[in-house]
Amino acid sequence: MLTDKIIFVATLVLAAVYFYATSQIPSLEIGDPLGPKAFPRLLGIGLLITAGVLLFEILRARKAPPPPVDPAAEKEDPPHWPLLGSVVAWTAVYFAVFTTLGFIISTSLYLLGMTMWFHRGHWKMNVLTSVLFSAGSYYMFTQLLGVTLAQGVLPF
Amino acid sequence: METLNHILNGFSVCMQPINLWYTFVGVFIGTIIGVLPGIGPSAGIALLIPVTYGMNPTSALIMMCGIYYGTKYGGSTTAILIRTPGEAASVMTSLDGYAMAQKGRAGAALAVSAIGSFIAGTIGVVALTLFALPLASMALKFGPAEYFCLMLFAMTAVSSLTGKSPAKGMLATILGLMIATIGIDLQSGQPRYTMGIAEFQDGVGFIVVVVGLFAVAEVLRGLEQVHKGTAPPMIKISGSLWLTKEEWQRSIGPIWRGGIIGFVIGVLPGAGGTIASIMSYTTEKRLSKHPEEFGKGAIEGVAGPEAANNSDTAGALVPLLTLGVPGGGATAVLMGAFIMYGIQPGPLLFEKRPDLVWGLVDSMYIGNVMLLILNLPLVGLFVRLLYIPVAILYPLIVAISVIGTYAINGSMLDLYMILFFGIVGYVFDKVDIPVAPLVLSLVLGGIMEQSFRQAMTISGADPSIFVKSGISVTLIALSLISIALPIIMPKLKAMKAADDED
Repeated sequence: MLTDKIIFVATLVLAAVYFYATSQIPSLEIGDPLGPKAFPRLLGIGLLITAGVLLFEILRARKAPPPPVDPAAEKEDPPHWPLLGSVVAWTAVYFAVFTTLGFIISTSLYLLGMTMWFHRGHWKMNVLTSVLFSAGSYYMFTQLLGVTLAQGVLPF
Repeated sequence: METLNHILNGFSVCMQPINLWYTFVGVFIGTIIGVLPGIGPSAGIALLIPVTYGMNPTSALIMMCGIYYGTKYGGSTTAILIRTPGEAASVMTSLDGYAMAQKGRAGAALAVSAIGSFIAGTIGVVALTLFALPLASMALKFGPAEYFCLMLFAMTAVSSLTGKSPAKGMLATILGLMIATIGIDLQSGQPRYTMGIAEFQDGVGFIVVVVGLFAVAEVLRGLEQVHKGTAPPMIKISGSLWLTKEEWQRSIGPIWRGGIIGFVIGVLPGAGGTIASIMSYTTEKRLSKHPEEFGKGAIEGVAGPEAANNSDTAGALVPLLTLGVPGGGATAVLMGAFIMYGIQPGPLLFEKRPDLVWGLVDSMYIGNVMLLILNLPLVGLFVRLLYIPVAILYPLIVAISVIGTYAINGSMLDLYMILFFGIVGYVFDKVDIPVAPLVLSLVLGGIMEQSFRQAMTISGADPSIFVKSGISVTLIALSLISIALPIIMPKLKAMKAADDED
């Protein structure tokens, strides 16, 4: 219920921001009676209607009797924020060094870090997978499929 | 007669060695994607688009479609062996398929799933062959106003039928349309919502959004499960990979019915393979002489839903190819692939490129035969993929996503964008906002705005143009019904229940 209320407020804020951003689009309506703002304005109105339907759903859920507790039903699965934050941060670091170090080194380091964390106790397999996958996929995509990947500090 | 010529010519296109090879590559990758967790057909197709830029569009699209229907075959393997559907539409298969595997009939469950998929997949392609041209001819009468209404209907149906809350579906749809408005407005040349970032002038690429929402988000969810240690045990294949006479007799009816249900549901926007398989399952349970066996290893509970979710893919290609309007997330990505190769799906495609359309449709007959071989005698090969530790697999999916995304423009911003959309997809999943409507509206957004503005230019900015033709009015009425249905249905059910009690 709390998340639904947050989504409701976020939708209203988004609609306000979107309306403001739409008003900032310069308009030169030559040969086009509507210009570039008309469709976005419709979307802004759509967002407001969505917020209305969300509110209706929130109010309806409040009036409805609580559903019977089913012990077999899946338990709530709340997000594991520290885990998510760490994975996202490590992935962002990977992207930050991607062009500097190049695909092979940065991907090997990224995969090594991830597998050492989530697949603990199998360091030989983790190292082999990280290095072989990075080097193998680099060769396959750049040499065989003609895809450009970051070369970085390596000479090839 | 001309149609028959086109169909036969289609076979000559798809039987070319290069196209046979790409059909095989497509269904092979599709089966792998279906078996492996973490990457579904949408992300799989999106990631392959940049790699296939230089290819002949017919071969590339044959391969992409092969991935699309191939995942359905692979998805059932994990549903049966580890009770985890490799893709959403196999969820019903996991109920009785896993129960059969526990009883030592995993081989029979895999066999009926592959045979059912093959028969129903072929039923679906035959129906696609029969219905495609009449629908395409009808769609030629559509003007911009009718197209706008058609897209409106597709979006409202998908947003209200996907997920638990119609409002959240609507929100996802509008978010997709909003993302589609980012970039230079093609008619006025004005930049919109680019935030001063030069790369946004071309808009936000749909590949970036799809890879983020479907692949990266799934990795975040999967790693969370690895961390929590919640993974079901795997059952080894046991018993003959063939059906007993009794099992065959019990399966053939559900396969035919599932094939027809799947195709019809597939044609309708929004419903998709999951609903088709649920409908088939409930139909079979209702028709069965032993409904008590369902959930405990009834072969009908595997045969019907598997058939339904396979013919659904052929059904879903009908509106995409004939009208140029996809009815779900994966077909929206396929449409994105068409557009990236410079091909606009729709009625004119049947006139301009019959070789491509019929080559593609006919390749599905061959692809289904290949899939039967891959998923019956060779199923053991794919099962071995399940031994790859998911803790290794998920980081590899991120690396594959990086390759596919960086290959588009060599843009670092795109990499950060897949991470951003990965977080968005993860959070949306936690708060029950469906992502399929977002992808659909992102792909259709540009065309929808164009139709809207063309219609308004024709009418001199008079909005009544949208209610002037019978087709438009019907489509608007269907849109309103699809929005109202999820709100009215529970009330009708409650009233019926109250009447029954009285």
